Amino acid sequence: MNQVALIWILAEKDLKVEYRSPQAFLNTVFFALLILVIFNFAFDPGSQATREATPGILWVALLFPGIIQLNRSFQAEREEGTLYGLILSPTDRGVLFLGKFIANWAFLVVVDFLVLGAFVIFYNFSFSVQMLWVAWIIILASVGFAAVGTVFAAMLSSIRTREVLLPILLFPIIIPIILAAVNGTQEILILEEAQFLDRWLQLLIAFDVIFVAAGFLLFDYVVAD
Amino acid sequence: MSLPIDQRSLQLARRYLQVANGLLIPLYLLVAAALYGAFIYAPTEREMGDVQRIFYFHMGTAWNSFLTFFAVFVAGIAYLITRKSKWDKLGAACAEVGMVFTTIVMVTGSIWAKPIWNTWWAWGDPRLMSVMVLWLMYAAYFILRSSLPEGDKKYKFSAVFGIIAFLDVPIVWMSIRWWRTIHPVVITSSGAELAAEMLHALMVSLIAMTVLCVTLVALRTAQRLNSSLADEVFQQLDQERVSRQ
Amino acid sequence: MSDPSNSLVLLSRVTKIFGLVRAVLDVDLEVCRGDFLAIFGPNGAGKTTLLRMVSGLTQPTSGSIQFESNDDHSGRDRVGYVSHQSFLYNELTGLENLVFYGRLYGIGKARGRAEEMLVKMGLQDARYQRVGTYSRGMKQRLTLARALLHEPDLLLLDEPYTGLDQHGSRIFTEVLKGLKEEGRTVLLITHNLGAGLELCGQIVIQNKGELVFQASRGQVDASDFERLYFQVVEGGRR
Repeated sequence: MNQVALIWILAEKDLKVEYRSPQAFLNTVFFALLILVIFNFAFDPGSQATREATPGILWVALLFPGIIQLNRSFQAEREEGTLYGLILSPTDRGVLFLGKFIANWAFLVVVDFLVLGAFVIFYNFSFSVQMLWVAWIIILASVGFAAVGTVFAAMLSSIRTREVLLPILLFPIIIPIILAAVNGTQEILILEEAQFLDRWLQLLIAFDVIFVAAGFLLFDYVVAD
Repeated sequence: MSLPIDQRSLQLARRYLQVANGLLIPLYLLVAAALYGAFIYAPTEREMGDVQRIFYFHMGTAWNSFLTFFAVFVAGIAYLITRKSKWDKLGAACAEVGMVFTTIVMVTGSIWAKPIWNTWWAWGDPRLMSVMVLWLMYAAYFILRSSLPEGDKKYKFSAVFGIIAFLDVPIVWMSIRWWRTIHPVVITSSGAELAAEMLHALMVSLIAMTVLCVTLVALRTAQRLNSSLADEVFQQLDQERVSRQ
Repeated sequence: MSDPSNSLVLLSRVTKIFGLVRAVLDVDLEVCRGDFLAIFGPNGAGKTTLLRMVSGLTQPTSGSIQFESNDDHSGRDRVGYVSHQSFLYNELTGLENLVFYGRLYGIGKARGRAEEMLVKMGLQDARYQRVGTYSRGMKQRLTLARALLHEPDLLLLDEPYTGLDQHGSRIFTEVLKGLKEEGRTVLLITHNLGAGLELCGQIVIQNKGELVFQASRGQVDASDFERLYFQVVEGGRR
């Protein structure tokens, strides 16, 4: 069978499962919204300093729910042993990776867009063309995040302490994504003259390319027991 | 009663020890030379004073913490291809030594920064920040290792993490640099021109630290090989005792 | 049994060590086409580990597992595996599960094949229901359908009777008898000595990792088997 079709079959399966058990999705969105609200209490919402920190607030609110989703994505495959079903099938491991990665990425993008909408309202921005640029950053940042995260989550799914281990492994690796996303968002929303935006977008793309390729090649070693 | 021991593994451990032994005398000489170079031969820096002398060791260890990171990457690839546990032993030893060196880099950096920049920890310095990320990655590597029992799975996962972390280092470096050049730079580079004597002292220190690094890695690899051999012997003794009962 | 042309899988000196535990020890076993082989043994005897190694999910520490060479099959799709876990998605319907796996195995008409298997297992009425709503017995039959979907040369069954009530066990035994009549090659692990004896053509008892007893069904008297089993297992304990 066509490998591209297989990738889609795998991703579609995951998205269908998510769609039919929307509780997890709703929990993830709710958690992100809570973080936005908590930051509103933690910092004086009216001050200029808080306004300048809003890009950081947005990305922290997107980061933690992302971790939850990644952990869950393989936990669900462990419960009924479906991960073994996938491994035993003659499907190429790289294809398994791409299917899972695309499903995780799509899930994150949908969650992130909803959170972005809430962010615009809570922090009094406007739904303008600028927000499309922020959405573009979200799309690119989620690729790298989901790629590395999918590899690590697969690796940790057999370890009892996975919930703690995933952020410990993932956060140092995705520091470039956080820097690029926060600074890119800042250029768009706060500085209003996007001087270095291109640079940050290029950095995100470079990260995405390197780690999607790495995940494709290394996945074989992290799924087999 | 004789116990079957993996002779090749034993030989390999012995060879690593021979390397460490062979390097011992050159290492003493080089460290003595480096100390002489840093504290006596090199002139006192005009603006910073004597505290600048820490820079020779700082640079030497910094270079090696990147070098060991590269070695972890190479050992990881070698393990994934060959599935021979000796590569994991080497990779873990490199990561250990690398973590110690990275810690030294941060400590010496702080000691230097306090009188010069008037702060222990300069969040504004891209190099310091990159080294800190490196340290976090090494720490994550060992936390991952400690959560897994000995065996192929542990070695595979460590190798995969080591490879991904190494691929990330240049991107981390770039991103932190850009981040700092965009924000107002509080701290300018300290890369003033070095006097010839300073350069000599630096070179000797670099070589001494590299030899130290290789010696430590060889020792730790030998220890790891031997300790897994010892575990095997204990295991066999245990099983023999059980089967006799 | 020793006709080499008929051999399907050959295990030689297969050993699996987890840390300090020797789960499977020096197992030599030949499985021929058409064999229905039952593996009995107490808990912790290493039966599941043995089956996992045959399936390819786990690699042996030493020794080899060789499938009789047949070039038009890659290693992984020669085996159908029913484990303790169902390998099924609770949120998908019975039909969706089978079509999904069918596509992963590259079956051309995955949908038709899935429908066919559902009918064979008596699940056609439940095909549009989510697997999460299935009873234990239905789920077990769907699991078997999933394992047979790609017409594997070798079917591995690990305690398929666990959790089934009397009724469910009877239906399941009927299904397995059908497979036996089709001449499928099956490795069955079970604690259910009666059901195992009823079905199998070969008997193996594993204890503490080792195969301690091996015979064909004809050599064993069913009424006396329980005594024999305990004798073999307890004997190994001393």
